[in-house]
Amino acid sequence: MVIHTQGPAETQAAAQRLAPLLRPGDLIAYRGGMGAGKTTFTAGLARGLGSTAWVSSPTFALVHQYDGPVPLCHFDMFRVTTVEDLYSTGFFDYLEGGAVLAVEWSENIEEALPEPHITVEIAIEEGDRRTITITGDERFL
Amino acid sequence: MKYLALEGSAVAASCALLEDGRVLGEFFVNIPQTHSQTLLPMVEGLLRTCGTAPAALDFFAVTRGPGSFTGLRIAMAAVKGMAMAAGKPCVGVSTLEALARNLTGFAGSAAAVMDARCGQVYAGLFALKEGRVARYPFGEDAAITIEELREQLDRMEKPVFLVGDGARLCYNRLSEGLAPGAPEEHGIRLAPPHLLYQRAAAVGAAAWDAWERGEAVEAGALVPAYLRLPQAERELKRKQAAQG
Repeated sequence: MVIHTQGPAETQAAAQRLAPLLRPGDLIAYRGGMGAGKTTFTAGLARGLGSTAWVSSPTFALVHQYDGPVPLCHFDMFRVTTVEDLYSTGFFDYLEGGAVLAVEWSENIEEALPEPHITVEIAIEEGDRRTITITGDERFL
Repeated sequence: MKYLALEGSAVAASCALLEDGRVLGEFFVNIPQTHSQTLLPMVEGLLRTCGTAPAALDFFAVTRGPGSFTGLRIAMAAVKGMAMAAGKPCVGVSTLEALARNLTGFAGSAAAVMDARCGQVYAGLFALKEGRVARYPFGEDAAITIEELREQLDRMEKPVFLVGDGARLCYNRLSEGLAPGAPEEHGIRLAPPHLLYQRAAAVGAAAWDAWERGEAVEAGALVPAYLRLPQAERELKRKQAAQG
């Protein structure tokens, strides 16, 4: 699935429309650099999953949890590169917690990503345009 | 001596009230709900059901690891909080030893295994003989691969019962390439379903022996025992094919 957006509002709306396809236990691995819109996309997911909370980047807390009908756990793995680091974020415990997991900088924990998972790649195009490529199972064709 | 045992090292959570090693009551849940929501309400319910006031407890026991980072910390923090408030000591026991205690009275061996992720299991290896559970000299708690576990199993008295939340995973991997029923012929068995998971009653049994050996400590001295994975398994970033 490929989505083209222009501006954060459209990126968030696209994620919000995508959210109903998600199921508890799904893991979204983001690909895309600084400023691509990963947190904006996650804000849309949180809305779409039924949370009314304000979504911010989990850069400092490492994980933010948004409770709703389907909880959403938003990770930032920018500074996480070893099993010990990952273990002490509680990541492995969240895998079994019945939530949707959205993981920024998933490249850093590639060896620990469960299979199957969903990949959301956000490419920065000209201006505030973004190309969002979603790969996973048949839900995202 | 009355004491409370807490267990929260994996998905299951439980608490037990014991007296001199004898179980007076036990609450157990095995649901994907965080222990911060289940453990203390269970303790409160158990003590109320048993008519025991917290002040009547002589010490507190808990699994100190290995296990889930969050789970270990929740159970340990709960025990530390209660022990500190009551001014009573604590006993920490190995999660894997407590698991093997589920099989007290069996004959053969117990391989207590928990899923450590990244292709590793936490394993502790014990002989089951004459109603006792005794650790093998090569069976110290460690994070190992299932292949390494397979080699260890050859050194153990048969049958070997796999116990713990990694038991099914190990059983399935050890069965790969074998005919159905073959693991049993090789002396590899799964612990019965009601004994498969961490239980606070078994933590209490291990803790009673530790208490009698004088291993109780004050709340502040109790620390989790996280097991580190081997160096080669630590890096999670996929290696770059070529540096540029």
